[in-house]
Amino acid sequence: MPTWPEKRSVLGRRVRRADGPLKVTGAAKYTSDVQPAGCLYGMILRSKWPAARVTGIDLSEAVRSPGIKAAILVRDGERRVRYYGEELAAVAGTTKQACLDALRKITVRAQPLPFVVKEADGIQPDAPRVWDEAPNLSKPQVTERGQVDQAFAEAEVVVEGTYSTQVEIHHCLESHGNAAAWDGDELTVWSSTQGVFSVREGLAGNLGVDQSKVRVISEFMGGGFGSKFGPGVEGAIVARLAKQANAPVKLMLSRFEESLAVGNRPSSIQKVRLGATRAGKLVAYELDSYGTAGVGSGAATEGGGGGAEFPAPYIYTIPNTRVQHRGVALNAGAARAFRAPGHPQASFGIESILDELAVKLGLDPVELRLLNDPSEIRQREYRLGRDRFGWREKYRLPGSSPGPVKVGVGCAGATWGGGGGGTRAQAQINPDGSVEIRCGTQDLGTGTRTVMAMVAAEVFGLPPEAIRARLGDTAYPPSGGSGGSTTAASVSPAVYDACEKALAELQQQTGLEDVRGENWKPACRRLGLEPLVVSGQWQKGLSSSGVGGVQFAEVEVDTETGLVRVRKITCVQDCGLIVSRLTCESQVNGGIIMGIGYALYEDRVMDAGTGVVLNPNLETYKLPGIADIPEIDIVLVDMPERGVIGIGEPVTIPTASAIANAVANALGVRISSLPITPDKVLAALGQVKELTA
Amino acid sequence: MKESIAEPGILVNLRSIPGLDQIEPGDAQWVLGAGVTVAQIEDHAGLRRAFPGLHEAAAEVASRQIRNVATLGGNLAQHSRCWYYRHRDIYCLKKGGDTCHAREGENKFHSIFSGNPCISPMVSSLAVILTALDATVVVQREGETVTLTMTDLYQRAWDNPTLHHSLDRSDLILRVEVPTRWSRSAYLQVAEKAAFDWATVSCAAAVRVADGRIQEGRVVLGSVAPVPYQVAAANRLLQGQTWSDALGGSVAERLLRDATPFAHNGHKVPIARALIQRALRHVS
Repeated sequence: MPTWPEKRSVLGRRVRRADGPLKVTGAAKYTSDVQPAGCLYGMILRSKWPAARVTGIDLSEAVRSPGIKAAILVRDGERRVRYYGEELAAVAGTTKQACLDALRKITVRAQPLPFVVKEADGIQPDAPRVWDEAPNLSKPQVTERGQVDQAFAEAEVVVEGTYSTQVEIHHCLESHGNAAAWDGDELTVWSSTQGVFSVREGLAGNLGVDQSKVRVISEFMGGGFGSKFGPGVEGAIVARLAKQANAPVKLMLSRFEESLAVGNRPSSIQKVRLGATRAGKLVAYELDSYGTAGVGSGAATEGGGGGAEFPAPYIYTIPNTRVQHRGVALNAGAARAFRAPGHPQASFGIESILDELAVKLGLDPVELRLLNDPSEIRQREYRLGRDRFGWREKYRLPGSSPGPVKVGVGCAGATWGGGGGGTRAQAQINPDGSVEIRCGTQDLGTGTRTVMAMVAAEVFGLPPEAIRARLGDTAYPPSGGSGGSTTAASVSPAVYDACEKALAELQQQTGLEDVRGENWKPACRRLGLEPLVVSGQWQKGLSSSGVGGVQFAEVEVDTETGLVRVRKITCVQDCGLIVSRLTCESQVNGGIIMGIGYALYEDRVMDAGTGVVLNPNLETYKLPGIADIPEIDIVLVDMPERGVIGIGEPVTIPTASAIANAVANALGVRISSLPITPDKVLAALGQVKELTA
Repeated sequence: MKESIAEPGILVNLRSIPGLDQIEPGDAQWVLGAGVTVAQIEDHAGLRRAFPGLHEAAAEVASRQIRNVATLGGNLAQHSRCWYYRHRDIYCLKKGGDTCHAREGENKFHSIFSGNPCISPMVSSLAVILTALDATVVVQREGETVTLTMTDLYQRAWDNPTLHHSLDRSDLILRVEVPTRWSRSAYLQVAEKAAFDWATVSCAAAVRVADGRIQEGRVVLGSVAPVPYQVAAANRLLQGQTWSDALGGSVAERLLRDATPFAHNGHKVPIARALIQRALRHVS
């Protein structure tokens, strides 16, 4: 089995992001910047009804509208729409205004139907059915281990509570979208995607075209977080519009559309019961949870949990457990994978009730976790983080901090799989000594390009900036989608393998023993006219999976206004061999900031009366801004012997739980629903009730 | 216009009108042109000394990028931020329909006082502090100029659900006159985010203090009513008093006496109470 070099001169260093200058100067061309000659704009007509039977759509006026070159129906014939914003038709035109004008000229005949958009309404037996064939609430998916009832009966202490998490929207900085250009029967698509190959596969299947005739390019992209693996309805639409218009078409969704139809994190309403010994050892656990993945939930979909299930009791091993998940279908956009699918919900429920148990038993929350967490890595991390954060000095009994602005601390742990595989890469060494590395992966902004360059630089003894890393194109050797924190662990070994083989080949062809570093150029010159092109692939032994991580939060809560401010997050995280320290830390920062958003700000607000998303913009769908971001202290536990492991997902999981626990510690009462906003804080403190009663 | 709520046939560039972007200091009053940007107000050292609350309010408006282009006149004449009103596919009372969806719906950010069935609040931060400072607004109306008090500027929105302020379609704010007689002023707000967010509740206070006593005072709330909200009886409580938390508490109780919160905005009452206390404590 191959191994990473013992002595590393590039890996693990802080290296400037390979494409940083291109991004900050605007030279990097994202899909939204791509403008093939003669490119038209594409735009989608969406349902104004949360539920309706659509009996006819008339495009004739739109087709005649000035500047319009194509107009299509998303689906022919009568159809049902099941949420506000579902795609109905699309146009392509010479300007955005031409498209807007044309969309208004499309007449839709529809018979509105009853709808339901709130979880609590959707589970009622008499609620309007999202899918005719089955109830909104799915049959429970139950798993049971041990003797749960007996264990609860014998438990020395039992705590229970209900914890809920909101629907969160991905809101990638770059919206979903593609540009499509046909050349005869060959299609080129520029896509803002997490998987150039998965978009190719999706489009080829959808259009009935050979995969060999579709090329997908994503040189730069502005975030996906799980919502950009396939071409989406909008991807198929843009290819059809380009065909009909006989011209390239670009269709980028608006921020408004991003809120409706391109994914979200399912909500959860978790009823939890936890039994323990007086010493704090967990003996019994029961969860009854439901949540919504929008139209993707409910009994009409596979899997029982309907996309709203999550691992429980998460990172803890409890001998007696009963876990029940259900999904409730609503007239709302379907969920998609979202950075660590299921885990933040899972973490919030179990870590909240653990702290309730700690309070009841009078135990330090860190000690309670050390007593029950089976992971040796997290045990190490809790001990390390506790000292680093100053936990012993900062922890007080709940609600005991003086004054109207109360301070509190909390902690939580997480796990993630990750792992690598399924990736090929190619190294090309040119006679002038320049190097190109090609891999059909994509860089979500996580630093994949930098990682590729650093791995090659390590092997060849060259500075990273001497390596040209090329990615984001199905013309390059195949790699998987960038999800599940697998990219670095897939790509690094493949590039390493290609470079090691290329190095050996160069030595052999030139007859030189040492070709690295300063010998590089003279050696390459001996190649003559023909560049050296060597392929490699992911190899076992260079990557692994399974990380632990813990986070500590310090917050202050103004008990008169209900405002929560996060003062500090300390993150202790392992990720195997650190490839690029700077982009790795950047991922941690991003994950924590996203976790802060989940804890305090983000919430898709559905309106029961009209069925629309009420906050389809970044003014009212609140994301943390610079002023909301605390000191973030990152400790990376370097474990090079494990090989490369991804870090994108684990770092966002425990943040909200740690913050919620810190808020509960500050106040002495728990806000058991995310996001923790001033209205909920003041209500928990009894201030709202008192005045409005 | 971005949300397709207004679709004017003709747009007039107000920036081409000379003199609207001037800040003129004075002994009795300062005059601020309607075209003065919020950033100009924020950055003006003399203005900050004369009216600290105005500086504080300007600094809380949106983001620096927006403050660089947003004007005083635009800030005062802005339309409701209600998410029902702003939604392209919702027809509501404010747009001329017959239902205020917020009353039975998602009203977390809505009014706790209203003289009409629409409960979308007035959210201009500058209006709140300028009301506390007893500013007047000079408006071009049908070929003549008229002067409105800040109360006048919003009064028609109190009982007319379709209005955002008292200005007619042909009215244009020319300038705002801010009297200097208030020796101290302050503006505070609570918003969910630390920056670039609308206030859940805002509060401005202005007082004249002499011989250790409050001679006269004003307390005004924003984001709680269709107008900058003040109660004369609450202001009168301050007259001739020395500061104490108990005084602040009684002003707050009087000011909030008629609050009628809805299902999701009861928190505005304790937040307002806290802000009234803090703003008054700060200026007294």
